[in-house]
Amino acid sequence: MPIDPGFWVLQTLNALQLSMLLFLLSVGLTVIFGLMHFVNLAHGSLYALGAYVAATVAGLAGFGAGVVVAPLAVATLGAALYFLLIRRMRRAGPMAQVLVTFGLIFVAMDVTRMFWGDLPMGISVPAWLNGQLDFLGIEYPAYRILIIVLGLITLAALTLVLTRTQVGAMIRAGVDNDQMAACLGINVERMFFIVFVVGCALAGLAGAIAAPVLAISPDMGLQILIPTLIVIVIGGLGSLKGAIAGSLIFGFVQTFGAVLAPSLASILIYALLAAVLVLRPAGLFPTKG
Amino acid sequence: MKFTIGAAFAALAATTCMTTSAAMAETIKVGLLVPYSGVYAAMGKEIEDAFMLGLETYGKEVPGVTFDVIREDDEMKPQVGLAKTKKLILQDEIDVLTGIVSSGVTGAIRDTVHAAQVPMVISTSGNDEATGAQCSPYITRIGFSNQQVNRPLGTWLAEQGVKKVYTLAPDYAAGKQMTQAFVDAFKAAGGEVVASEYTPFQKTQDFGPYITNAKASGADAVYAFYAGGEAISFVKQYESFGAKAELPIYGPGFLTSQLYLEAEGAAAEGIVSALHYVPTIDTPENKAFVEAFKAKSGHLPSEFALQGYDAARAIIEAAKTGATDRASLAAALPKVAFTGPRGALTIDPATNNLIQPIYVYEIVKGENGATTQKVIATLPASADPANGCVMAAN
Amino acid sequence: MFRHTRLRLITLALLAIGAVLYGAFTGYFGLEVLTEIAILAILVLSLDLVAGFGGMVSLCHGALMGTGAYAFAMLASDLGLSPAAAMAGAIGLTGAVAALIGAICARSHGIYFIMATLAFSQMGYSLVFESPWFGGDDGLSDVPRPDLSAIGLDLNDPRTFTFWCLAALALAYLVAAQVLRSGMGRSMVGLMHNEKRLRALGLTAWRVKAVAFGISGAIAGLAGVLAAQQTQYISPGLMAWTVSGEALVVVILGGLGTLVGPLVGALLFVMLRHEVSAFTPYWHAVVGMILVAVVMSRANGVYGWIEHRLSVRGAHGKPIEPEVENA
Repeated sequence: MPIDPGFWVLQTLNALQLSMLLFLLSVGLTVIFGLMHFVNLAHGSLYALGAYVAATVAGLAGFGAGVVVAPLAVATLGAALYFLLIRRMRRAGPMAQVLVTFGLIFVAMDVTRMFWGDLPMGISVPAWLNGQLDFLGIEYPAYRILIIVLGLITLAALTLVLTRTQVGAMIRAGVDNDQMAACLGINVERMFFIVFVVGCALAGLAGAIAAPVLAISPDMGLQILIPTLIVIVIGGLGSLKGAIAGSLIFGFVQTFGAVLAPSLASILIYALLAAVLVLRPAGLFPTKG
Repeated sequence: MKFTIGAAFAALAATTCMTTSAAMAETIKVGLLVPYSGVYAAMGKEIEDAFMLGLETYGKEVPGVTFDVIREDDEMKPQVGLAKTKKLILQDEIDVLTGIVSSGVTGAIRDTVHAAQVPMVISTSGNDEATGAQCSPYITRIGFSNQQVNRPLGTWLAEQGVKKVYTLAPDYAAGKQMTQAFVDAFKAAGGEVVASEYTPFQKTQDFGPYITNAKASGADAVYAFYAGGEAISFVKQYESFGAKAELPIYGPGFLTSQLYLEAEGAAAEGIVSALHYVPTIDTPENKAFVEAFKAKSGHLPSEFALQGYDAARAIIEAAKTGATDRASLAAALPKVAFTGPRGALTIDPATNNLIQPIYVYEIVKGENGATTQKVIATLPASADPANGCVMAAN
Repeated sequence: MFRHTRLRLITLALLAIGAVLYGAFTGYFGLEVLTEIAILAILVLSLDLVAGFGGMVSLCHGALMGTGAYAFAMLASDLGLSPAAAMAGAIGLTGAVAALIGAICARSHGIYFIMATLAFSQMGYSLVFESPWFGGDDGLSDVPRPDLSAIGLDLNDPRTFTFWCLAALALAYLVAAQVLRSGMGRSMVGLMHNEKRLRALGLTAWRVKAVAFGISGAIAGLAGVLAAQQTQYISPGLMAWTVSGEALVVVILGGLGTLVGPLVGALLFVMLRHEVSAFTPYWHAVVGMILVAVVMSRANGVYGWIEHRLSVRGAHGKPIEPEVENA
């Protein structure tokens, strides 16, 4: 095993990159859970859709356009889903909502196959993102730096909105006790809608960002679903802090597991998940209520 | 009058001939077992298109024999493949079984096919065992074997002056078979393998940690086997690290298969790999095949297509000897030999494995900007070792 | 609380008669389909036992089924036990593994319980997939079937084997129904509705859950043993989490917490798959839409809906309780 410090910096960046990608996905899912108390299993499908839309738009108008259009398109679909299914299911209990979104996974997977075919697709990034950046004397792919930066910006923006703005205060009130919040005159229904749509947009953004480094295939949503669920369950459902902690834990365990104990790499994260749930049955940062 | 009698005789003779060929004019029932559902559907479609093209092209050579193709979807799942195989054998009473993409399905159905004495033409799966320890007089390989592609490349790479190699492959049977065959040949030719890493199969989103490891390992080159979606992710992520100049990638050609080349884009440029078929092989047989396939399905044929095409050809070559039922086809199939789009093919009687040339090719930018395969070396055909195959008397 | 209403008894009788008649007269492929239904029915029965009556929605039942299959294959092939002893050993072992998982996960609820069971499921899958000891992704072949020639039965005959699976299904159903009527079963249902109260009454919650999960696991293990005997070949695919997900879908389609409903669900699901996949490659989308429609209709699955309609009309049985809306 090399002892070169640059090697460990590189691996740390790799871990951060994976963490930030997962953070973009899990934060929407966890805040939706915190407010509405249900897990949208189709969140991974929205991510896949984001990747497909980004690929199509990028082919027509360039990568930048793809990254902008994908979250908007997915958010629009999210709005439609909200009015057609989610809102109607609000009183049906969390289990029913989970199952509806589970059914949606299968529908979404076949719909992407009908539109985009079975063969995996790929897109390229603009030349300025294609190279490597010199980072403290270490070369690291520019695109991976972009993912890290984008994740950090999203994190900062969300923290700011949630802690410093009125909307954020309303959302926090809703997470703590939605009935009380409604009594205080907060339009809970509208808040649910906004949070759901923003969560969908973030999933679409994650898909667009991941598209150039992964194969865009109909089952990419299913493949990312389990890692995302692990992240939010380790962190504790419904909490922003939990999503950050969960993403970082997942990214670092996966990366350093692959480096230090490759033969255990695929079991390590599940063992950790089981251990967390035994010791803290509601995750590391559970929300109250 | 004499003339009339003569004519009548001629007519009679003709009728007799007709009856003789009518006795031959039988239907060969072919079971085509490929994946049609989920993300593998594209592969099934590719094989089927090419298989039907093969029947159309060479079917004329056996007038009077018609082919009844029964398609089944194995979903790439061994259990499903086995159930469908039993259905094809017991209910549809097929004469010959072909297709079979997944090595798992091959392993699952081997005993059933052997016990039922149904000839099977493996067109795609590279499972070494099927013509190794698990070989059977009823199983003939017409696609490739995992070691067949990797072994010559190991020797060739050492000859090119590459000394130290870092290998990467997904952690499953094919990944291990491919890597092992390469490592053995490369070491025998004087090369050194710095490390062999296996990544969790279809669970690895980020190859960054492994690529960083490879760069730090002090190797001259990376030898990688990935297929499908994983190949695309790996090739693109490797490119983003900008490591190809100092640490070039070699590997079996599934890494840059025609099916995935477009999705990989420019990231695949410069990768040198080896395979038994690429659509740019410069022979009249291949040009004819590529034209016909493009006319039928609108894109260049991949190795999956070629294998389906040759499977159809092999069955027809067997039928040419007069074989039409299970027993006669099983006897005739291991003896077929022909020159197809990928060159001259023969079957090794010791294992019923295919003997075929291997092409080393580099991915380069083509005329219209898209990437294409440039063949840089043709490695002569050599038979795989028997690998524990003891062929029972046929 | 589980009881055999008149409707449930009639349904069971119809299913049994239908299976026997179909099994007696159908051709080879029909027998394969019937066997597939029987094995899936045993699996979903075991899942309904804990999910429908204990609120323990598990995503590891596929892996438990796989554990049974692998344990049977390895006990019979590698240790050379007789198939009958290997069957007993495999079912016992799977039950023990399940009891352990149940005990460990007992403190988790809802989505956390689902995820905890998923973690164990994935660990098992990775272990089997990557370890050459279990044959890796090549799987294990030459799995034997029990020799019942002593009582004049040849399990290598497809029809006999189908009836062997149907008999196992009947046995599994009787065991499940008996468990639900026992004190342990009542405690489990009580825990689902109000865990705090039952704890206050002095019940050791984790022990009840572990035992229930163990029994359910043993039944899933039986499904695995039969699956291994059916194909005489096993692969890690049996243990993938999607198998567990599919089992959950079948339970929901049939009717959670009715024990009879999941049997109907298994029948419908297998038939649906064979019928739909015959005319469209997009059968997943069809199943997904049916799932969405069933859940949106607010009915408790197909069978739950029938029960509800009939009880509203007051034709048969008593109105069913609104069981497990918020499991």
